[in-house]
Amino acid sequence: MFTRRSFIQLSLGSTALAMTPRLFAQGVAAHTVKPVARPAPSERPFNAHFVDVAASAGLREPIVYGGVDSKKYILEATGCGCAFIDYDNDGWMDIFLLSGTRLTGDPPGATNRLYKNNRDGTFTDVTEKAGLKETGWASGVCIGDYNNDGFEDIFCTYFGQNHLYRNNGDGTFTDVTKSAGLWNDQPRWGAGCSFVDYNRDGNLDLFISNYVRFSFEHAPVPGENVNCNWKGVPVECGPRGLPTGRHSLYRNHGDGTFSDVSKEAGIASATESYGMTVAAADFDEDGWTDIFVACDSTPSLLFMNNHDGTFREEGVVRGVALSDDGMEQAGMGVGVGDYDLDGHLDLFKTHFVEDANGLYHNEGKGNFDDVTRSSRLAVETRYICWGAGIVDLDNDGYPDLFMVTGNVYPEVERKLPQYANKTPRALFRNLGNGTFEELGEQAGPGVIEPHCSRGCAFGDFDNDGDVDILIVNLNEPPSLLRNDLRGKQNWIKVKLEGVKSNRSAIGARVLVHYGGKVQAQAVLSQSSFYSCNDPRLHFGLGASGNVDIDVFWPNGLHEKFKAVSANQLVTLREGSGIVPSKGWAKK
Amino acid sequence: MFRSPTLREGRLRRLTIACARALSPIFLLGTLVLGQQGNDGLEAITSAIRARHFDQALQLLQPRLEMNPKSAQLWTLRGIALINKNNKKDALSAFQHSLSLAPDYLPALEGAAQIEYETGGKDAVELLQHILRLQPHDPTSHAMLGALASRRGDCASAVSHFEQSQSLVNTQPGALREYSACLAALKQTDKAIVVLQRALAEGNADAGVRYQLASVEFLAKQPKDTVQTLQPLLQQNPVPADIVELAALAYEEDGNTPEAVRLLRQGILAYPHKLDLYLDFANICIDHQSYEVGVDMINAGLAAEPKAAPLYVARGVLYVQLAEYDKAEEDFAKADALDPKQAIGSAAEGLAAVQQNDPQGALATVRAKLAKRPNDPFLLYLRAEILAQSGPTVGSAEFRVAMESAKKAVALRPSLAGAHDVLAKLYLQAGQTEAAAEQSRKALASDPKDQTALYHLIQALRKSGKKDGIPELLKQLADLRMESTKQEAEHYRYKLVEGKSPSTEK
Repeated sequence: MFTRRSFIQLSLGSTALAMTPRLFAQGVAAHTVKPVARPAPSERPFNAHFVDVAASAGLREPIVYGGVDSKKYILEATGCGCAFIDYDNDGWMDIFLLSGTRLTGDPPGATNRLYKNNRDGTFTDVTEKAGLKETGWASGVCIGDYNNDGFEDIFCTYFGQNHLYRNNGDGTFTDVTKSAGLWNDQPRWGAGCSFVDYNRDGNLDLFISNYVRFSFEHAPVPGENVNCNWKGVPVECGPRGLPTGRHSLYRNHGDGTFSDVSKEAGIASATESYGMTVAAADFDEDGWTDIFVACDSTPSLLFMNNHDGTFREEGVVRGVALSDDGMEQAGMGVGVGDYDLDGHLDLFKTHFVEDANGLYHNEGKGNFDDVTRSSRLAVETRYICWGAGIVDLDNDGYPDLFMVTGNVYPEVERKLPQYANKTPRALFRNLGNGTFEELGEQAGPGVIEPHCSRGCAFGDFDNDGDVDILIVNLNEPPSLLRNDLRGKQNWIKVKLEGVKSNRSAIGARVLVHYGGKVQAQAVLSQSSFYSCNDPRLHFGLGASGNVDIDVFWPNGLHEKFKAVSANQLVTLREGSGIVPSKGWAKK
Repeated sequence: MFRSPTLREGRLRRLTIACARALSPIFLLGTLVLGQQGNDGLEAITSAIRARHFDQALQLLQPRLEMNPKSAQLWTLRGIALINKNNKKDALSAFQHSLSLAPDYLPALEGAAQIEYETGGKDAVELLQHILRLQPHDPTSHAMLGALASRRGDCASAVSHFEQSQSLVNTQPGALREYSACLAALKQTDKAIVVLQRALAEGNADAGVRYQLASVEFLAKQPKDTVQTLQPLLQQNPVPADIVELAALAYEEDGNTPEAVRLLRQGILAYPHKLDLYLDFANICIDHQSYEVGVDMINAGLAAEPKAAPLYVARGVLYVQLAEYDKAEEDFAKADALDPKQAIGSAAEGLAAVQQNDPQGALATVRAKLAKRPNDPFLLYLRAEILAQSGPTVGSAEFRVAMESAKKAVALRPSLAGAHDVLAKLYLQAGQTEAAAEQSRKALASDPKDQTALYHLIQALRKSGKKDGIPELLKQLADLRMESTKQEAEHYRYKLVEGKSPSTEK
């Protein structure tokens, strides 16, 4: 990769022995990786078609987040996540959207919002009724039934104080942060989070990444130092130059309370990274959940579970912490999936402008190869990318890549119009040979509309057997991209209910075998950017009419299900097999 | 950039070359032979030589030689007289004739060795080694052999000889410089510093030795000591340009950018035709993201030296940082036209195309230049890197070309760490982990701070199952990252701005 080193070592007559000075783009690890040439289009039809139906669905309130035309602090720029959650267990995905505020004070309407699915393509704002009204600098959301009562709970991270909302089962939530032992004595900047049963006791523990140690009193302002400039324009500062955050692991005692085990678990020793999205899954397939943290401008982290209540951090040696040239990248969002259908969980990480998003192929034991270039993802480096997923959008049996984009420096656009604040989504369809092809308008208007986006969640809000996308747009209403899938490709959704394992089955790994292929997915509490997907794992099957399913439950049980018919939601209860699914609309 | 091995290596090369002929002739009249005791004729000859009456000595020798043409002694005396008349050619003949009569005749050996040494003759080494066979501990021969070995780049031999002549070397500034330069080349900078410091302390050092000490301290990454050592030299008026340069670099390395900039500005005013001063200034500007200031200074340099290819390249680099790609390309093309042999302009032109979001254009540029200069290591490295970035499938034509280009680049320029890096990456992709590890180690040998090479080595070892060394490498990588983060923070304490006085702003 060319860096300033390349120029310097050549230009000034040296013998190329210079150390590598990284081209720090004013506070962010930026690589000036230029896109590679695009191959010729495949001309294959793409049957997914995305239309933004947010307005007609009733999602009309803007997501307030910081300044609109300029941002004074990085706090205003990082944004927040969203979630598909079936909070009332009716089998229809409801929507939870986080929100921020403004430096000048809380504007009217700035609050997180819970939207109940009316099952007719529309949603009703039930935020107040649910007791989820909250204003502040929200970051991430992770979902999980931490008390195993059958109702999904919500944990939100914030700059300031995080919040644990216990689902009361009656359409309301109670903020139990303090009583649960999750109250911060000092304000912190919580970023990504994940419920995770790291010790396999059947109770969901909680991992929280922290981004930056930030205070308004001490934060530098635009232009104040070189970490506060971008291409000559004074901008909000950081994260470089700001102290790194401290990540936390809380053990669930099974009685509604948690205690901080960060130090004894080995998490606290990872102090050199700006943590962002968390994805907890069993990457090395040893039956114990590991924890991946995408980190900004610093090495990403992969905490491998030692099976004894502790973790060892191995991101660098396992090939997911840095670029393929060993350089730090601005890692924000995470997709977990199996792009090459080898039955192992791969990782996709989103990066900054002028850097390609990273695709990491899992060899099977949690060791990864950076296949960004060979997969042809490096054709696109124009955008800052955030929420993302490895998801089969056209049900052809090959998971695609989708990501949302948006600038962090709205003021730059005025001087450098090529760096627009609002930019389109990016969709890469899987060509089935280890490579991807970027699509634009072929995938529908919802993909090419420019927004300044952050989190996104993948799910089937209309229960029609495909994957829709919910997107956080800063200072705008959200997007709800309904997938109007054409054609007759088959699919199957798998919903898991833990019994000995945690009720949400977070950490479970599922293999679906179809047409000579095998695809792995995991039940995640968070992925994308600070967001949580529909927990029903969606598998496009192409022409296959039935599948075999392997479930690796978080507590170690392995179950197999043979010849399950396609085009349905299958709910599997640990130890009991297939049970009736809730509220599924039959076509 | 220059505060790492690049400048240091260049400085080391310059030191070594400068010292090549520094050792003074030693064998002057030191081996005057008195001949047989009680021989009045010989005594008269030697007396004449001692009294520096060389013509008289030759006149006295003439009849004696006619009577005793097989006297090695007489021929040697003739040689001594002639050498003092600066007639080295005939003197050498005389010594050689003496040796033909008595091959082990030490005075003739010494005389011939001295002439061969001074004139760069091919027999110098053999003669000196002959002397050492007769007198194994002769410090003069060791010192001269050390100097000759140093000249041909064999520092290991040079150091061995200098160590055996240390008492003599310590009194000879030229030899001291040569000795310490070789120690530094062998990465024994601590020892080199001790040698030079002792010479300074004993009063055997001249300004050159002091400068040498400062250079070695800089090579050893001791900028504070470098500055301290240079202080007496900085009191001169004017301060010589090379001292200005070294002091400025040391101040910058030590985090004292204002002083570095002040010195360079003053140096440029005093020596407006010294290209290195402009390049060092440009380097500081790049490190402190003060690109416009750098451009202005290079403009001043080009006004004084309008045909200086390196200045065009430096300005081109600065223009790239400012995203002014058209201007950058113009400068690189100009540099290439002015000095095609260097190929730096061509390589930079290719890089600029990459930076401009035009990898295909970059590849085309590099290919065109390679057609004219197929063995240019920089261009080959560029081609390999551009192709590798496109993610070619292993076994494809592009992959093969990338691999071959990288291999050829490192064969032509083993010190090109970047080429080793890209070759290691390609080997990793091809599953050739041993080869990848080997290339990474070679890159690290050139640049121990090459994080890319370290990372590739870690991946190669992990993939090959050789995990024992990995924890240490991970620690090194983490340490390097922290170090470079700290250095970046230091660099960014200062930004250069235009002003009436040569000062910097924080």
